This record gives sequence, structure tokens and C-alpha cells, in this order.
Amino acid sequence: MSDKHTITVTVNGHVYTDDCEARMTLADFLRRQCGLTGTHLGCEHGVCGACTVFLDDVAVRSCLTFAVQADGARISTVEGLAEGDELNTLQKSFQEHHGLQCGFCTPGMLICATELLRDNPNPTETEVREGISGVLCRCTGYDGIVKSVMAAADSQRDGVSESGSIS
Amino acid sequence: MTTTTEPKSTKYAGKPQPGIDDPSLLTGSSTYMDDITVPRMIEGAVLRSPVAHARITRIDVSKALELPGVFDVITGNDLVEIAGEQPVIWYPIPEQRIARAHALATDTVRWVGQGVAAVAAVDRYVAEDALELIEVDYEPLPVVADLEQALAPDAPKLYEDWPDNISGSMTLTAGDADAAFAEADVVVGASFRHHPGYGCPIETRGCISNWDVFSGRLDVWLGTQSPNLARELFAQVLSVPVSKVRVRTPEIGGGFGLKFDFYPEGVIAAILSRRSKRPVKLLEDRQESFVASSRSRDMRHDFEMALRSDGTILGLRGTAYGVLGGALGTVGSGPPWASVLTSMGPYKIPNQELTLKAVMTNRSPYGSYRGWGVPKGNIVHERLIELAARKLGMSRIELRRMNFPAPEEFPYFSGAAFTFDSGRYADCLDLATSAVEERGWNELQREGREAGRSIGIGYGFHIEPGAYGPSRVLNMVGLDHSGFDEVYVRMDSAGKVTVLSGQISTGQGTHTTYAQLVAEGLGVPIEDVTVVTGDTESCPYTGYGTGGSRAATLGGAAIVNATGRLKSKILRIGAELLEADPEDLELEDGRVSVRGAADSSVSTADIGYSAYRMLNGRLPESETPTLEEVDVFDPANMTTSYACTALLVEVDRQTGAVKLLDCLQAHDAGVIINPLLADGQLAGGLAQAFGGGLFEEFVYDDDGQIRTASFMDYLIPSATDIPPFHFYHQETPAPHIPGGMKGLGEAGTIAGVSVVGSAIDDALSDLGVTVCEFPMTPPRLLELIRAAQSGEATT
Ligand code: FES
Ligand code: FES
Repeated sequence: MSDKHTITVTVNGHVYTDDCEARMTLADFLRRQCGLTGTHLGCEHGVCGACTVFLDDVAVRSCLTFAVQADGARISTVEGLAEGDELNTLQKSFQEHHGLQCGFCTPGMLICATELLRDNPNPTETEVREGISGVLCRCTGYDGIVKSVMAAADSQRDGVSESGSIS
Repeated sequence: MTTTTEPKSTKYAGKPQPGIDDPSLLTGSSTYMDDITVPRMIEGAVLRSPVAHARITRIDVSKALELPGVFDVITGNDLVEIAGEQPVIWYPIPEQRIARAHALATDTVRWVGQGVAAVAAVDRYVAEDALELIEVDYEPLPVVADLEQALAPDAPKLYEDWPDNISGSMTLTAGDADAAFAEADVVVGASFRHHPGYGCPIETRGCISNWDVFSGRLDVWLGTQSPNLARELFAQVLSVPVSKVRVRTPEIGGGFGLKFDFYPEGVIAAILSRRSKRPVKLLEDRQESFVASSRSRDMRHDFEMALRSDGTILGLRGTAYGVLGGALGTVGSGPPWASVLTSMGPYKIPNQELTLKAVMTNRSPYGSYRGWGVPKGNIVHERLIELAARKLGMSRIELRRMNFPAPEEFPYFSGAAFTFDSGRYADCLDLATSAVEERGWNELQREGREAGRSIGIGYGFHIEPGAYGPSRVLNMVGLDHSGFDEVYVRMDSAGKVTVLSGQISTGQGTHTTYAQLVAEGLGVPIEDVTVVTGDTESCPYTGYGTGGSRAATLGGAAIVNATGRLKSKILRIGAELLEADPEDLELEDGRVSVRGAADSSVSTADIGYSAYRMLNGRLPESETPTLEEVDVFDPANMTTSYACTALLVEVDRQTGAVKLLDCLQAHDAGVIINPLLADGQLAGGLAQAFGGGLFEEFVYDDDGQIRTASFMDYLIPSATDIPPFHFYHQETPAPHIPGGMKGLGEAGTIAGVSVVGSAIDDALSDLGVTVCEFPMTPPRLLELIRAAQSGEATT
């Protein structure tokens, strides 16, 4: 059990190199070795989605991924979403439309919704519900989250039509 | 008091202010329980019983102790040397037998998951390795796996010295129920079953206990809704002075009542800490949560209602069974008791005979979950009134309306314990039915049915007791705790405001609504207000904790009072500085000015400077330095908010699956501080209730083993299971709460279960199906459908 492996990952643009046991999950590596506690654990068996992060641009459950599998990968977490000191469009939309209450599912929800809007910038409400259905929220009843994601899609579209690129 | 509040011009109160904590929650920069490490900290894990009922004949921890990285291993026998039994704070049933347990079992285990031993090690991975090295021998005892087995005449007993498995029973009466039933034209009745589930916050429970024997201090980080209560109970269980216990709460990832209760793990971590001389973090994992966090909802209600042929309700009677576990949890049989107390709902029922039996089984302890018994009271009155409407051939809407107390009959005594403070129930019902019409549901249903679809519209009316509660009354009905709330409102030397409260925020927006009330009450920008909660060393005492829909009502009322007095003092100091009469002054946007002469003004920073630093010549001689007001608010009565909920569903007769299409609620919680957050509370609660109504269930086998201990088996709703929500508000102020607020945090969970039954019944009205059991899973519904199709009775 105590065989250690050295891995290197780039998280939100910073390079981290550290030792870990083969059994350490990516979630625990991010939280314990990198100090990035924004990624949350709600079940550790791959259902709740709170632990969702980007691994080389694909949203994955970091509780079901071993840290050693991520060796050499580029990872982004909730800590990497804001633009400088400003919330990004999606984060602002979550605040404005009450897309969060306790905030515990929120990191996973934001990553999941970011992927959804990247792949489908004009989702219908049904597509939003399906898109976020892999992240469980116990607080909001999803109403505020769906509104937040729809509104973020709207403002991204406005940003595109005004400036020609996604704001 | 039955008037609607006049729309008044406010700057913050009543406005959809987004959550003030949201930016840190949205960026991953806030700190939850598992994000905290303290110096020298090690981590624990608990070994739990794999069987539901057994005698422990041997425990050998020696191999675990030898594992490198392990600091300590304790068993129940080690624990009892230091700790007393886990506390019970609710005693609603007179002369109830109270089965208490220690934080770790000593000789007998009475539920799967009961703690048997615990390890402290260098990290959680090693601690769990060590658990596997602990050897325990169990001598099996007969298992009482469910309510029916517990009540059987020859049932094995959980406690040998008891005559049976009944912990206690009580009957509440009003009028003469027997006479009412004898003279009734119509009687309807059924046996209603709500199976067990739990609050299930996405963040599980956790703590860090640091018990330093040299200073005698116990310093705890705890994911709790009730830090003050936890401090009292740590002191009680561990025999340390309250003054030596500090409880701090970090950000809480959802509570839902589940984190109100006081659990064994805090005590276990404290003992491990004391022995290993290191702070110990102990976190529950998801799988453990199904056996270690409060089990709730588990009840059966055999109830009947008597009516005259014109629809007047004459009487209600029945027996409610609370399915307690192998020992009592913190709140004992409190929630089952509350279900009985609210079983008459919003209706005038002169004759009542309501019996509660609290029954022990080999299940985990029963405890708190948002709604606290009332969702099952709601099932009783809402399902029965619909059965009655069917039997009488009356409209289910009109039957409800004709049995409401009229607005002028408030305060209205319900017949059992609660007095409803104010209400316009019929208006609320009309608001909901017109919204249903407006949204075109009736049309949709007609069209759907013509196309062969089973579309149903469900209705439910609920009451929500909030502002728990007048301290002396709570004491009289059996609570070993108080119900008041205390708040400090302080303006500092720079003119900014800090509010300190014993309530905490679990996501419901306590910090935001408190900041709104202070900003509005004082006349300062909301950015100038800081709300501090979650530390028993600096924050005031609150009776109870953040539960019972009390944060906005009681904490809010205390803030309204304290803020009012603080504002007067600020104006008196302003009057000295401006050489004016305080009566002529106003405070707006952080400036005190002479009304009508805006150029003659001082800022709150000037006031702060005068009250803290440059008193001479600036602070009136009659005033004490500093700017701080304390208010303790103990309500004269509880609040009763209410709503009419409507739900549009489609039933698939082939599979028994129920699709929730749309949902609306007409709601009255008195004065609303923040409509954005209020709607969030209502929606979140309804979604939880739909989970309980359709999906979520702890399933046990005959050996008392839980079969649903993961999110693969215990199904909480996802975004595709939950419909959109539409909320409509009316505001009938709480007459005895400064500010007029009523509780609303539990509305959704109370309303949302019975309405699922109502909607399914309506979708299948041609079959005459009656839903009496929750969750109404597809196999259960298929069974009802098949029974109805083959002509069998279904109730
Ligand atoms: S913690 Fe990874 S899916 Fe729940
Ligand atoms: S906001 Fe609490 S779980 Fe989603």
C-alpha cells in the first residue's frame, strides 16, 4: 500500500509535482496535496458529481480517477473559473439567479455547466436539465440552476453578437 | 391580524438580494468541514456493527494498534470511562421509556451501523486499514426489522426489562371524537405509510475535536446547525464546564435538520483526541451516512375522518406509529409527535382523538429532517380530505375551503397544542386555483386525456409551524432546551455594522437576510453590514439552533428590535453633532441628516468616531460609549405559514413511472425579506419532498440490513426528475413577530409528499386508485394499478 509514485499535474495553470500512493484519488490529491479544496466530495462513488473537474478538457469525476492516472494531465477546477478578481459569466449568472444555496454541489455544477455550454451554446431547458443531471443538488430543486445556465447561455450569445467572440 | 402588508418603499427588505456569501462559494474559496486542517491533526474512522442485533462477546484491537500510523483505538468500554450516554432533549410523551446509548456500543448492538470501535491514525486511509484489523465476535440476537414485527404479540424485545417494544404512547383529545363518528354521515379512513429516508445533505457530517487535558479545553469544529446546543451537550456528556467548550462551525454544505442532531462522532473524536493528545478529524463517508445520520420520516398513520353529508368535518381520530430505532436520538420521538399535532392541518375539526405510539426497532436512531414530522401530518389530512371529497361527490377544492377557519377566527386553536397566528387560507387557495387555470393545466389535462395520456393535477394545502418557539411552552411540552434567540448589533468606530448571531447559515441565506434587515432598519448600505455566526465563543446564545423555521422569524425579530434601538442612539449622537433635535433627523445611506436639509449631515463614520474615540464634545453626556445593542427575543406564539400547492403529473400505466411536469405554489409566510431566497427555499424543499414521495427509501431486509446504502440505490432526484416551479405570494404578517415574518424553510418538504399522491390519484381517477404509501415507486404504483384494473379495492 505504501508504494509511492511521483506525479506531475498542471492545475489551473500551476504545475504541481508530488508523491502519492497508487490508491490516492485525484480528488484527494487536489484537495490534500495541491490545497485546492474547492473540489468537493459528496459520495466518493461516482454518483453525486460534486467532485467534477476538467481533465484535459473533459469533465470527469475526480473521486473515480486515481491521481496516478492524471500524471502529465492538464486539470482545471472551480478555483480556475473566475477571471482575475471578477466572477465569470456563468458564476455571475449563478449568483444573480440563485443557482446555489449551500454551495457544496456548486463546483461540480459549474464545471459540468461549463462543458455543456462549450459543447452546446444554445441549449433548450430540457438539454440543460439533461446536461446537469449528473450532478446532484439537494438544496435548490434545480430551478435556480437551470435559470442560471440558460441566462449564462443568453449572455454568452449577446457577448458573441456584440464583440464577435465569447465574452 | 388579517391584512395584507401595504407595499412600502424599502431599499433592501423585500428585495431579491443575491446571496452575500455566493462569490466565495462560487470560486471554491469558502471553507467547509473537510477543508479544515488544524496543527498536529490526525484522522479517525469508526468501526460499525455489520449486524442489527447482537451481543458483543469479544473485541480485539491489538492488531489494529500495531499498524504503523495508528495512534489509538478505542472500544465502547474505553469510551464509557470518560463519556456519559448520548443526550436526548425532547420528552413529549409523558412517562416514556427513554432508551439511551453511548457513542460506542458497550455490550449490545441494536442497529446495523452502530459504532463499535474507533481508530485515530495519521490519515483516513490508514485509519480505514486499521478498522479491518479489529476483530469482533457477535452473538446474534433476534432482529426486530420493522414496525409490524415490533408490534407482534410474540415479538422479540429490544430491551429485556421492558414489557414490549413500545417506548411510550399518548393520546391528545379535543371534544368528543366517538360521538362525532357516531353521528357522522360519512367516514373515510386509511393506513398511511411513509417509509424511512433522510435529509441527505451533499456534504456529509464531520468534526475536528481537540480536547487538551492540560488546559481542560475542548475545542471543536463541527458541521452543525446548532452550535450552542452542541456546546451544552458536549459539556453534559463529557462532564466539562460549558465555559471550557468552544464550538465553531465552518461553511455547511446543507443541513436539512439532519445536522441539527447531536451525534456520537463528536464525542468519539473528543475521546480519541484526549487520549492521543492530538486534534482528531472524523468525517462520515456517504455509505456510513445511511446508518450513522438520523433516519427520518419512518411512520405509519392509521387515521379516519368523520364528516356530515354537507362536507362539514366533524372529527378526526387515529393512531400514529413512530418507528424509532435501537436507541433514541437527540430529538427522541419529537418528529412523530409533531406529525400528530399537525394531523388536523388547516381545517376546523372540533372533535379529535389522536394517539401516538413510539416503537423501538433494530433500525438506526430516528432524528431530524426538514419538516420534522409535519409532512406526515399533512399526508393524513390531505389524503383524507380528498378521499372524503370523492365519497361525498364534492369538489376537493370546495371541501377544503368550507372547512377553513375564516380570517377573523384567528388566532385559531387547532385542538392540539398549536394556535395558528393569522391566515387567509381561502384567498391562498384561490390564488393557487387561478394560477392553475392561468397556466392552462386544466386544458392540458383535457387534451392529454383525449390523447390517451394519464395526466393528473394534484392539490395540497399545508400549514408550517415556524418560529419554534416560546421557551416556557416548549419546556412544558417536553423540550429540555429553550426557544429564544439573541443577537448583537454593533456599529464600529468607522461606522460599519457587525451582527453576531447564534444562528448559522446552511445555504438558506441567513447571512443575506440578516444583512438586509440591518441595512434597512438602520439606513446603511448593505455592503457596510457584516454578519458573524458559527462560534460559541463570540456569538450569542440561541435557544435550540437553526431549525424549526426560526432563523428569519426569531433572529430576524431580534435584529429588528436591536436595530431600532441602535438607530435611536445613532440619531441622538447625530443630534449632538448637528445641533439639531433627534426628531428632525433621518438616517439614510449611512448619513444622518436634518430632514429636508441634506447639506446638514454627518456620516456613520463620524458617529462611530464620537462613540468610540473622540467622546469629548461629541458624545452626549447622557450616552454610554460604544454603539451596541443586544436583543433577546422569546416569541409569544409560534408562526403558522401556509400554502396551496398544485402539481401536474403524467403517469405511465405500463411502467408505473410518474413524470412531474410542472409545479406551482401559492404561499403565505407573512412578510418576505428576500423573495429570491424565499423561492429558493420553497423550490428546494419541494424537490426533497418529491424525492420522498417517489424515489427515496431506506430499504431493509428481514435481518435489518439496509439495502440502499449508496446513491446507486438511494435515489435523490436529479434535474431531470424535478419540474419547473412557479411561486405566488400573499403576505399576511405574523402578528407577534416584529417585522411580521413567518417561517418558510420547511414549507416545501411539508407540502410536497401528499400532493404527489393527490396528482397520481387524479391521473388514474378512472381506476379509483388511492395512494397511501410513500415513496410511490414504480413497482408499488404498478401493483395499485393492477389491483384496480382487476377490480380489487385499493385502500
Ligand atoms: S464525490 Fe465524486 S461523484 Fe460524488
Ligand atoms: S447548493 Fe447545496 S447541494 Fe447544491
